[in-house]
Amino acid sequence: MAPDSGPFPDGQFLKLLPVDPRDRGTQRCRLGPAAFRSLGVRLGSPMRISLPAGGCCLCTAWPRRDGADGFVQLDLQCASPGAAAAAGRISMDRLQPVSCPPLRRLEVWPVLRPQAGAPSSDAVLEVSQELLRNRPVSRGHVVATPPGIPGPVAALHVVSGTPDPEPAGRVTPHTRITLSDKPPPQVEPPGEVTLGGLSETADSLRELLRLPLCYPLALAALGLAVPRGVLLAGPPGVGKTQLVRAVAREAGAELLAVSAPALQGTRPGETEENVRRVFQRAQELASRGPSLLFLDEVDALCPRRGGPQRAPESRVVAQVLTLLDGIHGDREVVVVGATNRPDELDPALRRPGRFDREVIIGTPTLKQREAILGVITSKMPISSHIDLGLLAEMTVGYVGADLTALCREAATCALLKNEKNQNNPKIEETDFLEAFKKVQPSSFRSSIGLTDIRPVGWEQIGGLEDVKLKLKQCVEWPLKFPQEFARMGLTQPKGLLLYGPPGCAKTTLVRALATSCHCSFVSVCGADLFSPFVGDSEKVLSQVFRQARANTPALVFLDEIDSVLGSRSVGSSGCDARERVLSVLLNELDGVGVRTVERRGSKASQQECQEILSRSVMIVVATNRPDVLDDALLRPGRLDKMVYVPPPDREGRLSILKVCTNNMPIGLNVSLENLAAETCYFSGADLRNLCKEAALFALQENGLEATTVEQEHFTEALKTVKPSLTLKDLTFYENLFKKELSNLEDH
Amino acid sequence: MAHDQPLLVVQEALKKCFPVVEEQQDLWQSTLQDCLPLLSSLSNLAEQLQAAQSLRFEDVLALRPFPDLQERLRRKQLEAGDIVLDKLTERLATLLRVRNTISSHVEQVFQTYEQHADVLDIDTLLRPSVVSPSVTDMLEWLQDIDRHFRSSYLKRKHLLSSIHWGDLASIQALPKAWDQISEDECQTLVSDILLSVSFFLEEAGSRAVSGDLEHRS
Repeated sequence: MAPDSGPFPDGQFLKLLPVDPRDRGTQRCRLGPAAFRSLGVRLGSPMRISLPAGGCCLCTAWPRRDGADGFVQLDLQCASPGAAAAAGRISMDRLQPVSCPPLRRLEVWPVLRPQAGAPSSDAVLEVSQELLRNRPVSRGHVVATPPGIPGPVAALHVVSGTPDPEPAGRVTPHTRITLSDKPPPQVEPPGEVTLGGLSETADSLRELLRLPLCYPLALAALGLAVPRGVLLAGPPGVGKTQLVRAVAREAGAELLAVSAPALQGTRPGETEENVRRVFQRAQELASRGPSLLFLDEVDALCPRRGGPQRAPESRVVAQVLTLLDGIHGDREVVVVGATNRPDELDPALRRPGRFDREVIIGTPTLKQREAILGVITSKMPISSHIDLGLLAEMTVGYVGADLTALCREAATCALLKNEKNQNNPKIEETDFLEAFKKVQPSSFRSSIGLTDIRPVGWEQIGGLEDVKLKLKQCVEWPLKFPQEFARMGLTQPKGLLLYGPPGCAKTTLVRALATSCHCSFVSVCGADLFSPFVGDSEKVLSQVFRQARANTPALVFLDEIDSVLGSRSVGSSGCDARERVLSVLLNELDGVGVRTVERRGSKASQQECQEILSRSVMIVVATNRPDVLDDALLRPGRLDKMVYVPPPDREGRLSILKVCTNNMPIGLNVSLENLAAETCYFSGADLRNLCKEAALFALQENGLEATTVEQEHFTEALKTVKPSLTLKDLTFYENLFKKELSNLEDH
Repeated sequence: MAHDQPLLVVQEALKKCFPVVEEQQDLWQSTLQDCLPLLSSLSNLAEQLQAAQSLRFEDVLALRPFPDLQERLRRKQLEAGDIVLDKLTERLATLLRVRNTISSHVEQVFQTYEQHADVLDIDTLLRPSVVSPSVTDMLEWLQDIDRHFRSSYLKRKHLLSSIHWGDLASIQALPKAWDQISEDECQTLVSDILLSVSFFLEEAGSRAVSGDLEHRS
């Protein structure tokens, strides 16, 4: 049996071809004569083959009909669970002839066909004997029933035997076959896709599935019915369906996945019938082992009852309710419903005994995103420079589906970029950044007030150094140095009011802020909010905040807030839309808590401070009439930081002029310093206008061939452009909050 | 010639086995033919039973004087059905015998091969001659034949064991299902193989010549 190398040097590869239809169910392994010689096997001798895709199988060696060498065909009649013969190449040393002693005894675990009711063990034994007859088997392998053979058995797990069938043993007519009474240990299929960041949720589901299996006696002694229903709620794309599938696979439970809309029938009563049939099917599955009925999009099946037009729907809901109750008697079925609109469900469903538990899966937090990215990229050839943590920080508001799309897009980029090197593509960080531009978080689609801002750097805003510093302190630092903030016992400010005379770069500052800190940015204006319907504006505003909370860290920007909100104290009439909007805003800023459906991440108390800090929504408000704002809005805890954006002083004006004339060919005789000195009471907008005017004068004077803007153009422009600020205005702004303070002292 | 000896032994075993297969195949086919009329009579009975079930006896004036007619009729029909079923069981036993005979013969051939496998070179086994297919082919065919009979028997037995009188519709469909089994499996498998080995079998009388031929080729 010594393998002589002959025409097959070691490490020779064979091409793996799909199995011949005629060989299906024969457990044959077709080899060329040269392979036969080099392996030193005889006809029909058993061989153990490790498959390239993982797993291994046991086959009998047979020569190929056409006598060609270099190919191998496998019939996976007896293989390790989950083995699959993907096409590819297989090395010769993965084919091992094994000795195959006859077995005296063999213990198997039958996997029964679904439709077979409960067959007697004699019948199962008879079928098993026939199926195993004269086969080499190996411990831990599964022998599948060949297609077309009827009977109650779908497959047989080889549990044990004497002598131990490892690596192989042959079943003979004298082998005594017995049925095992406990299922074989669940072998984790290798390379299974795990779920990132959902471990806590998965645990609670797993517990439901496993408890009755692991402790049946204890539970019976306690006289308890195990909770049997779970409602998964969360926005689309966070992995509800994936989670259920993964848990069911892991626990070895039979999964019956039904999409609720698919149960809808056209005729009256058809839907109810379908529902009954699904539950009955689940019951059948449950009688044989742990099983899980998964109702996807359950809100379509069980909407809120009531209302005159909804009688048919009510009947369906009633049917589901009775089925959920009815199967409690002896069922092993765990019913899992998934929805992204839990509030649309009929309230009767959401009580213990029906959906006992409600698991809310929010959009993933920072750590969860990192875990998800880790899982997705585990199979991708990414370069070692990529920092997944950084990527997770950038992907604010992305759900699992978005992250998958992002990685796919990055992979496509990498593939397109190095077309020459297609065999061995490597995904670089630049590919991810490129993909980042294309893939927008899905939670932002159909959202309100999201603006695609043009990025502005801090350096593009002239002057205002102390204001910039304040803004950075309030917003950027807590995001970038969470540890330091936590150490000093600081919490992040909730809101920020920017006030100051018009044209002094308040909006631009916010834009720079949004650019510099990577967080989701929602900008809301009056046009978004106001609607002719009563209550609509309030709803829109609260939706903006809900959306922002789902995508934390987030920055909500309300420009010209005086026009949006108004003040309760100043306003004349009793009740108008602006006041109601104000009350919504006050509540959102400093309310009691968030609704349960908005819960995100894990509930555990010990969380990393980074997680907590990155959970805040910050509101930035800009106005040039801070005096009309409601007092309640201006107290700490709401808008607790008030930043006055002053008109530019001389230095500021100079730097603004520098920024404005950056792209302008100005003459040598132009002194920006002098200009800055002359333009007292000019706001940033005025200065920009001044530069524009000067350039226009230059064009007017020299025709279209003008090359430079000279000093006289600026002087000319100064004559026409008047400052928009007055001393009166400025003192008003500066004294605004001082005055209030002095009022207080008077009392 | 000494080196050909094991090959000749295996060929001898094959030559003994194929005629048995041929003979058993004939028996198998004729038994299947015998089953068909039985199945159709069973199907007829099922139809009658159904008709009797759907008839409301108390509404028919002419039948009123016989109050227990329905009960009697049903018993009679069921008895007839049982007789047919008994006959079918006999036929099934014949099929089982055929299957077992073939299996034991095939097993013998393989045992013979196993005894000599160490001295038999793979090239010798793979080499066909003018009149005979290669030994590997013939061994493979025997295995195929054995599997064919076993699976066919299993299917038929499963079909017959699934009969119960509560499900009349499926009994009515029995002849069709029976034919379907034959159609699904490769009907010509055994006869094709027997044709391929016919020359090989014919030279049974002149073994020496065949040995010479093998040697020369």
